[in-house]
Amino acid sequence: MKGIFALARAHVIAGIREKDTLFWFLVFPLFLLTILTLIFGRLGQDPEIHFTIALIDREAASSDAAFSPSAIVRELFSSLTLSETPGERPLFSLRTPASTDALDAFQEKEIEQLRRGNRAAVLVIPPGFDRNVLQSLQAGGQSPQPSVEAGLQLYMSQTSVASETAAAIIEQILAGLDRNLLAQMGLYDEAASIDVVTEWTQQEQADSEVPYVNYVLPSIVLMGFFTTGLFGVPGTILYNREGKVLRQYWVTPLSVRQYLLGFGVGHVIFCAIQFALVLLLGRLAFGATLQFSSWHTVLLLILASATFLAFGFLITSFARSANGGMAIANILNMPMMFLSGMFFPIVGLPIFLMILVYANPVTYVLEALRQSVGIQAGTLMPWPWPVLVPLLWILVCSAVAVRRLRWDVGS
Amino acid sequence: MQADYTLKVLDLKKHYGDVHAVDGVSFDVQTGEVFTMLGPNGAGKTTTLEILEGIRVPDSGELVLFGDVMSRVSRAAKQRMGVLLQDGGFEPHLKVKEIIQLFASFFSSSRPISEVLDLVALTEKAGAQVRNLSGGQKQRMAVGVALVNDPDLIFLDEPTTGLDPQARRNLWDVIERLKADGKTLILTTHYMEEAEELSDAICIMDHGKIIASGSPHDLTASLGHETLIEFRWDDPPNDAVRVLDACCEQVRLEGERVTMETSMLPKTMAQLLQWSEETAVPLRDLRVRQPNLEDVFLSMTGRTLRE
Amino acid sequence: MRSFAALLLAEVRNFTRDKLMLFFTLLFPVVFILLFGFLFSGMGDAERAEVGFVLESAHNEELLLSVLSEAGVGNTISFPDREELEAAISDHRVDFGLIWTGDDLRFLYDPGRLQENVAFQQIAGGIAAEFDMRAQGAQPAITVHRIHAGEIESTGWFNLVLPGILAFTILSSGLFAVSGHLTQMKERKILDRLIVTPMRPTALLIAIAIVRLVVGLISTFITLGVGMLIFRLNFTVDWVRYILFVVCSTLGTMGLGTVIALLVRRPSSAGNLANVLAMIMMFLAGIYFPIEFMPGFLRTISAGLPLTHMANVMRSVTGVMDMSDIRYWLTTAAFLGLAIVLFPLMARYVVKPLRR
Repeated sequence: MKGIFALARAHVIAGIREKDTLFWFLVFPLFLLTILTLIFGRLGQDPEIHFTIALIDREAASSDAAFSPSAIVRELFSSLTLSETPGERPLFSLRTPASTDALDAFQEKEIEQLRRGNRAAVLVIPPGFDRNVLQSLQAGGQSPQPSVEAGLQLYMSQTSVASETAAAIIEQILAGLDRNLLAQMGLYDEAASIDVVTEWTQQEQADSEVPYVNYVLPSIVLMGFFTTGLFGVPGTILYNREGKVLRQYWVTPLSVRQYLLGFGVGHVIFCAIQFALVLLLGRLAFGATLQFSSWHTVLLLILASATFLAFGFLITSFARSANGGMAIANILNMPMMFLSGMFFPIVGLPIFLMILVYANPVTYVLEALRQSVGIQAGTLMPWPWPVLVPLLWILVCSAVAVRRLRWDVGS
Repeated sequence: MQADYTLKVLDLKKHYGDVHAVDGVSFDVQTGEVFTMLGPNGAGKTTTLEILEGIRVPDSGELVLFGDVMSRVSRAAKQRMGVLLQDGGFEPHLKVKEIIQLFASFFSSSRPISEVLDLVALTEKAGAQVRNLSGGQKQRMAVGVALVNDPDLIFLDEPTTGLDPQARRNLWDVIERLKADGKTLILTTHYMEEAEELSDAICIMDHGKIIASGSPHDLTASLGHETLIEFRWDDPPNDAVRVLDACCEQVRLEGERVTMETSMLPKTMAQLLQWSEETAVPLRDLRVRQPNLEDVFLSMTGRTLRE
Repeated sequence: MRSFAALLLAEVRNFTRDKLMLFFTLLFPVVFILLFGFLFSGMGDAERAEVGFVLESAHNEELLLSVLSEAGVGNTISFPDREELEAAISDHRVDFGLIWTGDDLRFLYDPGRLQENVAFQQIAGGIAAEFDMRAQGAQPAITVHRIHAGEIESTGWFNLVLPGILAFTILSSGLFAVSGHLTQMKERKILDRLIVTPMRPTALLIAIAIVRLVVGLISTFITLGVGMLIFRLNFTVDWVRYILFVVCSTLGTMGLGTVIALLVRRPSSAGNLANVLAMIMMFLAGIYFPIEFMPGFLRTISAGLPLTHMANVMRSVTGVMDMSDIRYWLTTAAFLGLAIVLFPLMARYVVKPLRR
């Protein structure tokens, strides 16, 4: 018994002391959590967002009307170049032509800048814009759709997310302006407008938004468990077999079963450390609100680490050498992670990939864990499959390992 | 008091496919002696040792270990055994004292860690990680691990291979001390002088069988009272071997090296010198020596031990 | 010259006989492309979005249906109640949902599909605005239409990712040429045996570089080909610039590999460190995720990473991103310069005895 705990302790200590293990199993999950949260947690709701756009008014030169929508558009955008609160960057930096002479050259230059990623969008007010808007307003909204030429031209680049976002924001701003003008003409009643409510599935209150980190946290936890099992088990067992570290154990009264127990306990402790670090970072730095404390969640976490432990043993059984084992692990790593819905949802995959998705043990534990912490209901299969299939995997892996795994060199 | 024998091996057999690695081996190891196994690679020495160390299970045969009859080494027996593997390994990121502690935890009773460290002179290195140890320090730690349970039977598989002369001397001292404590040791080695100096009993294996056994003295004496004359020649005449063979018991050739076995040294020597003068074949590196274990093996198999 | 030919041959054999290495350099990127291609092909694509809706009120029902049919999405599917709609969203049968209560429009999204929801919300916003406007019998006076300014008309997200993967392939090929292959030779004492011969270290380096270049090119061709054939991706490749950049950046990253090898104590750690750095770069260089929304300090780091620039150049030479000539030539020259500056260092590393 003391041997089992001494082995578990040695396993954890060696894992923490080894730089490689330390990075891939403890630092990398934290790194990935940080990166993903910083990128996707801010998608579309970034307060520091700032775009450089160009506004070219080709109407101003030709229009002398008292009521000038083009002037309103200009004013609106220049007001957005001022920050609402001092010290904060405003939404836009606006580039406008210095004179009305070389509008074509200016527009061409700005579009070129847009292509190179130096502008987020170029908005062009075409000549005749004022007259068209006016006509449309006077017709009381009953006129046929205004022609394309009469609308604002919004140049954007599909290759840039910033440009996509800027375009969407500009469209929203202009739609607001449009409603405002219509309302002033009595064509549109703000009060009678249809409310738009955004809701999320499986969520009781629509108002409290679930932070992104909550969705990515279970994935990161499982990724950590998965890589620890996938690389850690063959790594330790195979290198120790080749280096006759294992043989040194077998000449003592230690049995294979005791060694396995010690290894398993060490593995679970290692996973627990990993889990604690990821959870701590998610909570403290990114405001995760997930609860992992219910008994079924804890059991699921243990099931997950046991499943990947068993899977690691399966790979170990098939590898002839340590390098071979690591190669197998490397080949399986990415496909298994991505074909589980861990980082990208499983949507519209061809049938041969769907078969892999359903064969993949990661899919099931991920599903179970997500259900358990309440961030996603069953999307792929009903209860109790997310628990039964991993248990089946453990059984199969153990059976294969018992039959195939060699515990000593040359035996 | 114990039985006279710590270990008795009866008709041990182990085969891999068609290869009979161990083909009916029997021997006794007396309590308190140093028992050495010799043999070339592939002789079955390693397999026999691995069976005795409990790594392998024999196909058939019987072991009597510490007075208990068993077909394979039991866990209870392992409690009283210590094994120094040939190039065994340790988790490189653990510290010396952690390794000793780990192995101590596998036994129901063990020596205090500090005592083990002291025994192998690693007290100063107790906090060093295994990967930072020198080859000699690693070997000393391995010895410490083998002795952590204060075993009665100790296996030392080529313990001095790759060690410098000083380190080898130190290990010999450790072996002598263990022997003085009444421990039983089973040893394999590539160094004849080591075997002759340390062993009380020797068995020589070849092709899975024991071909000779006894004390070092008995074994060399079995060759009779022969003396060996060794020299090297460059360009001997065609009839050289025939001529020399006539004046001694046997002539052996290994490339340009010649060994003559004789029981009448003065006469053979005189004839050899005379032949050398007549044929003008110089006898380079000429020396006269008594037969050793290597010669015992050679005379029985016609091959050398090292190959 | 003969000894150089022999060295080159040895390097080629070394590579082709190592089945694992062959697999990882030639086939692994293809596995990646296939995986990502299928995973992302249906992601966040407005024109193919499946929209589920529930009409809880008959008020303005016809209008809503006509707005939906003109919304420019893939499909609209009617559901009897919210429960079934939610189930369909959870099962990914529809991408997002809409419920018309008679008073308000409720849009329902799957919180697990965060990367795509931004696109879905845009579609939803369009539908809502149109419906709102027409419900009041009004028509927008100010209209906006988008004009794509890039060179390629239908540039999808995966079009941008693929050149990034090519850049990553080149990076790892170059890094591991030194911080893997060469260090391994050192560890196995193969270099020691070579050094005692009259062979010049430069000859060995050039042999290694040639093999890496050829392998790098082949590997990127295969990846590119798979992308074009299987996923019908559009690329307009400027082959001259493409090959020139692959050559320069491979050499440049070999130089970086040397720096890594010089930083660590044991040669075997170099491969591990290179692995770690490559992985970190992959995430920060915006290969898979857009970097525009990373916090400022990360964008600054990103701008300093060689992989970021490699990915941008690869995008420009495959015609999915615009880049000024000056920037192309400057980046290419920078990698070549890196190679030239670090080459002596590399040669010294070859003959440098192992630190113990």
